[in-house]
Amino acid sequence: MKASIVARRIIVIGANASGVEAASAARKKDHTAEINLITQEKTAGYSRCGLPFVIGGQIPAFKDLVVYPQAYFQMLKLTLKTETKVTAINTKEKTVSTLDKAGATETLQYDSLVIATGADSFMPPIKGREKQGIYSLRGIEDGEKIAEVVKNGAKSAVIMGAGLIGLETGVGLIERGLKVTVVEMLPQILPQMLDADMAKMVQEHLQEKGMSILTSKAVEEFAGDDKVTAVIAGGERIEADLFISAFGVRANTKLAVEAGVPLGETRAIKTNGRMETDTKDVYAIGDCAESPSIITHKPMCAQLGTVAVRQGKVAGANAAGDYSQFTGILASAVTRLFEIEAGATGMTENAAARARIEVITGAISSKTKADYYPNAKPIKVKLVVEKESQRIIGAQIIGGEEVTQRINALSFAIQKNMTVRELAKADTAYAPPLCETWEPMVLAAEMVLMKLR
Amino acid sequence: MVKVDGYEVPEGFYYSNDFEWIKIEGDKVRMGVTDYAQKQLREIVYAELPTAGAQLKQNEPYGTVESVKAVSDLISAISGTVEEVNEEVLSKPELLNEDPFAKGWLLIVKPSNLEAELANLMDFNKAVEWHQNQAK
Repeated sequence: MKASIVARRIIVIGANASGVEAASAARKKDHTAEINLITQEKTAGYSRCGLPFVIGGQIPAFKDLVVYPQAYFQMLKLTLKTETKVTAINTKEKTVSTLDKAGATETLQYDSLVIATGADSFMPPIKGREKQGIYSLRGIEDGEKIAEVVKNGAKSAVIMGAGLIGLETGVGLIERGLKVTVVEMLPQILPQMLDADMAKMVQEHLQEKGMSILTSKAVEEFAGDDKVTAVIAGGERIEADLFISAFGVRANTKLAVEAGVPLGETRAIKTNGRMETDTKDVYAIGDCAESPSIITHKPMCAQLGTVAVRQGKVAGANAAGDYSQFTGILASAVTRLFEIEAGATGMTENAAARARIEVITGAISSKTKADYYPNAKPIKVKLVVEKESQRIIGAQIIGGEEVTQRINALSFAIQKNMTVRELAKADTAYAPPLCETWEPMVLAAEMVLMKLR
Repeated sequence: MVKVDGYEVPEGFYYSNDFEWIKIEGDKVRMGVTDYAQKQLREIVYAELPTAGAQLKQNEPYGTVESVKAVSDLISAISGTVEEVNEEVLSKPELLNEDPFAKGWLLIVKPSNLEAELANLMDFNKAVEWHQNQAK
């Protein structure tokens, strides 16, 4: 039977993590909607988070990062327009204007619009930044350029910024045989994710593996004629064959701003719990959108893949007439750097202090298997607990293995408002080849309790 | 049977561009979805199928399959009349994942224009090539 009403028209701008998720969720709710996905990139539906591991050689090719092949879009009847730029959004007429690779323009009508324009690499106003030869790692095309420089015999690299992408890329380049120097403006690496005490453990491991790390040093200048041949950081000149800007990313809000869609206090697109912007029938998700922190309830823009897909699913359902709420962000994250894993969820001690939250912390070093069992690896768990309520508000873990699922467990604990007293009494599993008798998360909780006495 | 990039492509079937297979059994045709399709959809939790007597038209949707992540129309590979529906798939849709070319069959159809419509489908060799192209 043919539907007697006109099909709902949904447009999603951006076709990676959050965009594809939104389109899929919309299709699940509405089997007849016309759903258009528009992306400027050549490739859609791939994992940005995997880029450093193609550079490092663990993943053979960039095309292996494609999570959603053409067939997926076909099966879900999603119209994918690649290499197509959205030039304007008209929120009154409810139209989106596009320009494709061949120069053809089109104006598409929408009933619901989802903005998933992502984020762009951020370059601070550093002297010489207009010069050639500074790379960033945001998309497949960026990755291919870096891989090309490596293939052409680059022997050394300078990475500016010691966040997740910077360090993961640095590890990849060392694995490809390059000499790598990481320059970080702040006094510690992974400043968003870890406190200084935990970051130090990661830094020492990276240095043991040959990474040169300069903290508390800002990049002051890109030296060289047309092409960068060195950076000057903290007065020191560091020459290299490859320069990667990993200063961080900024929400790409240009289209939204031009269309009058309001931004929030983090300068990302303001949304409510349904991922709706302040403009009717316009949603925003992923790296360009902000959502509240589960702990402080203040807006934040975590720019993490897991947040993007969760927001995408909510926005897609709502855009197709369903009802769904986004429950907020803890910014749970993990990484592996050479032989150690680092993970975090909720707030660091540092972030809590900035938010004027008083905390008690506890950190325990343990092993990932029974101490006597061969190949037990070290693991350290740090808990951040709000003083008055005794609720856990953050956790950080560094270990040789088994970090991810502990971070997830602690994320669940935080989401369920678990107190440190409850965690100290938790029922856990044990077998010598798999873990210690006393779960390190539980011991860390006991340590916090002792400090609270 | 061959495996292309991890996807099973058995011999003795015809394949459509819409991820369906048919198998000719005398004057009837058995229909289902390919291994490639079920792997894209992942764990299928729901299948909506027509009832016996329904008319199918080549390249037209006749049902849907839904997984945790996705939902996809079932597009008929041929025209004809539904003679039998795999009731087991309705109660155990995981059969589509476990055994898409045998226990996970969907319909038995009496074709109305089989000979002409076969020209629009892929035989084994063409299907292998098609799967290879998907992998690119």
